[in-house]
Amino acid sequence: MKIPVLVIGGGLSGIAAAIRIARFAPDVQILEQHSRLGGLNSYFYRNQTLFETGLHAITNYAEAGDKKAPLNRLLRQLKLRRREISFCQQLESRVEFYGHETLRFSNQFELLDSEVHSKFPQAYGPFRQLIAFIDEFDPFAPAPFRSAKTYLSELLGNRLLVDMLLCPLMFYGSSYENDMDLSQFAIMFRAIYIEGMFRPKGSIKDFLDLLTSHYKLMGGSIRTKCQVKKILHCKGQVTGVELNSGETIECDHLLSTIGSDETMALLEDAPAKSMKGDTRLGFIETIYELKRDEADSLPTDTTIIFYNKGENFNYSSPDDYIDNKSGVICFPGNFSGLPAKEKKEIRFTHLANYSKWKKLASDPEAYLAKKFATSKESRHLLEPFIGRFNHNIVFENTFTPVTIERYTSKRKGAIYGNPVKIKDGNIGYKNLFIAGTDQGFLGIIGSMLSGVSIVNQHILPKL
Amino acid sequence: MTNDEIKDLVLDIIEGIDDEADFASLDPDQPLREQLDLDSMDFLDIVMELRKRHQLQIPEQDYPNLATLNSCVTYLAPLLKDV
Ligand SMILES: Cc1cc2nc3c(=O)[nH]c(=O)nc-3n(C[C@H](O)[C@H](O)[C@H](O)COP(=O)(O)OP(=O)(O)OC[C@H]3O[C@@H](n4cnc5c(N)ncnc54)[C@H](O)[C@@H]3O)c2cc1C
Repeated sequence: MKIPVLVIGGGLSGIAAAIRIARFAPDVQILEQHSRLGGLNSYFYRNQTLFETGLHAITNYAEAGDKKAPLNRLLRQLKLRRREISFCQQLESRVEFYGHETLRFSNQFELLDSEVHSKFPQAYGPFRQLIAFIDEFDPFAPAPFRSAKTYLSELLGNRLLVDMLLCPLMFYGSSYENDMDLSQFAIMFRAIYIEGMFRPKGSIKDFLDLLTSHYKLMGGSIRTKCQVKKILHCKGQVTGVELNSGETIECDHLLSTIGSDETMALLEDAPAKSMKGDTRLGFIETIYELKRDEADSLPTDTTIIFYNKGENFNYSSPDDYIDNKSGVICFPGNFSGLPAKEKKEIRFTHLANYSKWKKLASDPEAYLAKKFATSKESRHLLEPFIGRFNHNIVFENTFTPVTIERYTSKRKGAIYGNPVKIKDGNIGYKNLFIAGTDQGFLGIIGSMLSGVSIVNQHILPKL
Repeated sequence: MTNDEIKDLVLDIIEGIDDEADFASLDPDQPLREQLDLDSMDFLDIVMELRKRHQLQIPEQDYPNLATLNSCVTYLAPLLKDV
């Protein structure tokens, strides 16, 4: 069998890439190993309730009229109409360094601006310089790694402010320990602080269904439960793929969204590449489902809290199972215009150590017990700050880096992939390119834009 | 295709890219991109649509010929004369 264009991976970058191809050449097929699309951003059912796996908030909020905004560009490129999605904006979020300082922010940049002005008056002038710099800077121009931390420290001269500004940007988009590339920093600063966050009114399932039906209407096809075992190639040119079942499919163009090392591992007999950048950041997340309780004191006006309780903010792979000195607390129900649900939800996210969890996973009972123990510890640590909810928990679910690895085949379960990004998607083959996490644009909007831009650069001009 | 038909074709394609595009004040001798707030990604769609609808292969070095509405007509007229 032959299909002109194949896309490995039905996560958001693969779906966006495939829609983009199908617009002009309907002979495109997505190959996804699971029975369901979405990858990191998917859903599961427990007790007849749908739980989203990878959604706190979507970054890059933009109003309809702002044609140059990444969100609107993406919708145009995919030929999706804005009115097909209802946008619920965040209420208010904050960076909370307990015992030090708080910075509130929302989709109105003025809030963060006034917070910096009143809490870090001496750094406010330089902060305005930073905004001007970000306004001018082209983060998409190819450039070697430049330390955002060094740049910020020199400019702002205030370590606490630097760490506080970096904290949300790292948690929502850095595969790099304790620093970020300046370009990635600028992209994330715009995405989170200047543009802001939202979520669709419906669930991620509704969003995936919308994308899928749109794609199928254009003529594209999808094969689920279809794992690619090998990429077949000859003299720097890909000829097709071999599936787990032994079946082969020939193709003219192949786009892989499963990660750079993960893709290289499927290229049999390929010249060995040195594994650059092998530190991978793992995460652990617990989702709590709660009974509604009018007496609880949980915030109703806060969407996300990015916190740090340590003396310094440390964004690196922890020595222990998890590092709950810092993390993200998300209240998924607290978005403007979101219909009230029967139950409430809270999510805690922290950095986690892949190797420790991996070792423990061979003993399922101990693994499960450890998940409960760590979730309990985080709860004890954070309840004094957000309010008690222990007594209202009806369901809790924790995923570790091992869960992510098992589910998406991401090396070491690292959500943000390899710290070394391949911005042009080129891994040395004429008709094989990578998009998604390891291309460098992260998050939901980022991964979708990644799929679109790699297709625009390398596939559409050759069709 | 007549020149007017080519103009309509280009505008129809642009409308497909951005259904809110405002053609009322469009100056046919000024760059489309600035006037309609199109970026390079949108611009690629014009090229791809011409290929899809009329099997035109427009090489990258010729893209500048599609800058304004009138330059589109000049460039496309010989290519679409038999359509
Ligand atoms: C807990 C969590 C919270 C998050 N919160 C947010 C958030 O609030 N906002 C935000 O913007 N982003 C968030 N993200 C990040 C966002 O989900 C990802 O950046 C994005 O979905 C990545 O998409 P992708 O297509 O690049 O990768 P993936 O989603 O990993 O897609 C890759 C796909 O390839 C498939 N695959 C792998 N190997 C093979 C193979 N050999 N053959 C066939 N198929 C294969 C996988 O099953 C997967 O479906 C979160 C992620 C997680 C895990």
